[in-house]
Amino acid sequence: MLKISIWTKQDEEISTTMLNHPIVRNIRRRPLLVVAPLSLIVILYLFIFSHREPSKKTQKYSYKSKNKSWFNKNKDSVILRNLPKNHLSHYDLNQLTVSKTPLENKEEILVLTPMSKFLPEYWDNLNKLSYDHSLISLGFILPRNEDGNKALKSLEKAVKQTQSDPTTKFKKITILRQDTNSLESQAEKDRHALAVQKERRSLMALARNSLVFTTISPSTSWILWLDADVIETPPDIIQDLAAHDKPILSANVYQRFFNEETKKPDIRPYDFNNWVESEEGLKLAKTLGEDEIIVEGYAEMATYRTLMAHLYNAKADQNTEMALDGVGGGAVLVKADVHRDGAMFPSFPFYHLIETEGFAKMAKRLGYEVFGLPNYLVYHYNE
Amino acid sequence: MNFKLDGINRIRLLVACGIIFTITLLKILFTPSGLYSPSFDDESVKFFDLDNYKGRADGWQYEERVLFCVPLRDASAHLPMFFGHMKNLTYPHNLIDLAFLVSDSSDNTLGNLKKHLNEIQNDPNLAMRFGEIEIFEKDFGQIIGQSFSDRHGFAAQGPRRKLMARARNWLWTVAIKPYHSHVYWRDADVETVPPTILEDLMHHDKDVIVPNVWRPLPDWLGNQQPYDLNSWQESDGGLQLAEALEEDACIVEGYVEYQTWRPHLAYLRDPYGDPEIEMELDGIGGVSILTKAKVFRTGSHFPAFSFEKHAETEAFGKLSKRMGYNVYGLPHYVIWHIYEPSSDDLKHMEWMALEEIRQKEEAKIKAVYDKVWDKAFEGVQNDWSKERNDFMKNTDLTNFRKIYVDWSGAESENLVENNEEDKHLADFDPA
Repeated sequence: MLKISIWTKQDEEISTTMLNHPIVRNIRRRPLLVVAPLSLIVILYLFIFSHREPSKKTQKYSYKSKNKSWFNKNKDSVILRNLPKNHLSHYDLNQLTVSKTPLENKEEILVLTPMSKFLPEYWDNLNKLSYDHSLISLGFILPRNEDGNKALKSLEKAVKQTQSDPTTKFKKITILRQDTNSLESQAEKDRHALAVQKERRSLMALARNSLVFTTISPSTSWILWLDADVIETPPDIIQDLAAHDKPILSANVYQRFFNEETKKPDIRPYDFNNWVESEEGLKLAKTLGEDEIIVEGYAEMATYRTLMAHLYNAKADQNTEMALDGVGGGAVLVKADVHRDGAMFPSFPFYHLIETEGFAKMAKRLGYEVFGLPNYLVYHYNE
Repeated sequence: MNFKLDGINRIRLLVACGIIFTITLLKILFTPSGLYSPSFDDESVKFFDLDNYKGRADGWQYEERVLFCVPLRDASAHLPMFFGHMKNLTYPHNLIDLAFLVSDSSDNTLGNLKKHLNEIQNDPNLAMRFGEIEIFEKDFGQIIGQSFSDRHGFAAQGPRRKLMARARNWLWTVAIKPYHSHVYWRDADVETVPPTILEDLMHHDKDVIVPNVWRPLPDWLGNQQPYDLNSWQESDGGLQLAEALEEDACIVEGYVEYQTWRPHLAYLRDPYGDPEIEMELDGIGGVSILTKAKVFRTGSHFPAFSFEKHAETEAFGKLSKRMGYNVYGLPHYVIWHIYEPSSDDLKHMEWMALEEIRQKEEAKIKAVYDKVWDKAFEGVQNDWSKERNDFMKNTDLTNFRKIYVDWSGAESENLVENNEEDKHLADFDPA
């Protein structure tokens, strides 16, 4: 006990002498003088070495969600709903049939329509199709503009009505808004000016491709391209065209009008894109630059091609076939295999052809034959 | 400062707040584009604005979905390796939709594929599981055998390419959905690939982009080699050649028959080069392609016909460019394809194995021979040097003529013989 007390006494003595040391006294008086530089050193140390030391989990990329703000939300249908077990589905495409008798073989058909204007007559005609609606899927693509908005609103209403009725309900309907810009004016006059033809049809080709490739499913056997302004077709059009068993088959597009001369309702040819290539057409193609196109129905470009539109004969057999080199998009039945093999609507001059005419050429390059029915009429809307 | 509000100021503040609020509300209602979006309760009707699926450079942060396409044919042997890579992918698995095409297979590729998929989809870790998985079966009929030399012979290339193009098209046309933002093509037989491959390619923000593809080689073939010669930039030589060929001809790269003098992505690799460096391409290979989904959606595909004198992936590059999309390759970013020996390689490997056995046999015999030598022959040199003087006792050695025997000729004759044998071995002709 005594010893300890001595030690403490000594300790006390040392500490008091230390406290009386001038440096220590200085620190006691102004502690910031030491603390500030010390803390600065510590901070600097941390700052420099925290960067040098690799963190344990180095990720090359950030995976933090950057999803758009709440008011800019994606309003599309919910993706991936009702997935099968393990999210796994299996399709044997070897079993898929494409036959002359599609209805008996329960073959599914996809009706595709690029739509910039909604015509009630078009929708009525679609609803009247005699093919089993539970085997028909529909696909629409609308332009990214005010026309598209208007058409979309009407389409939405019509679709809701049709789908709520089990007797008319279609298997599946996909509606797309096009991502590429579209030309603003769709007035009849502008639409057919040669100068804008190329751009218009190039955009149309992109729309058609976006539509077909996102909607074609493993169970699709046939695809019917039906323009939004084709308002009258025979109700059996699917069965009628499929019965010919052709890879690509186009109907003849006509238009009803009131003939002022005879004072009677009459019909006249409308779609001139169904044609047979001519010597002159090929010669003309040779003179053109790589990026130029040939389009039908313009006096500036006389091709002397045989146009199916002019070959209609009211008295002849409806089922007469003719081989074609170019097709229009009015009403064309295509075996889905043709598109699956890669045949698409070129948005660029492909052998100086574009869109549906380019499509026919590409299908031919893939080894498919293209046909038309000159005496099988469908009718275009009269503006 | 005094923040006390009198009556007028309070009203002013309220009005200001109201104006700001209504402006924001209007903005919310009428931005971004004033585009109408319908809403359907019915499950049978779907609406998609394709503008939402254009594909960004950092797509994984925006929950953008990738369609992962894998064409398979007799690929059972490669599946364990392939799924090893799949499990390691860092791109969020739930954003990856898998599409497989199984065609003309006789090795139960389908069964094995399902086994692997079920295993991964039942992983207790939910982050391992993938999005939608679709397996398609379609046989196209095989024109050519599936061995390396069958597939890579020059004559087989045209028809083979067109058939493969059809198969690829059948896969993506049925698999792609409106909501896919990116499409990734990958062969199953890739041996080494970074787990960040999707992000690595995607962050370049290109419409079509491919890495460099090499393959490891056995030492006797030089260790490593460029594999994919289908990624190239067009050259004047190539264009001239294309012009000279008939409509249905199909140029294939990497064959002496068609000299195009094109710069190949594969040969431009510098092992120490910056992996971020990009190079514009015209034709591309199909081992690993990342594209924005819009490229396929708007109609680009793998031409199964001769497009600008090319087919399949090479023509896909050309077609995409024709449609205005950009096509790039990364010369210093490499993934490794497996090494499959060609039939010449196989013959040489067989010869190497036989040669090894032969040399072992020879060494064994030599060891026995060396051992037996001492026993079979008795050395008499020492005896002779002792007995020599006895034998020569009566001979006058002063006049002894020294005789030199020149053995060099005999020896070199021997050597020549040996050399020829060696040469024959080295010059082994596998044919």
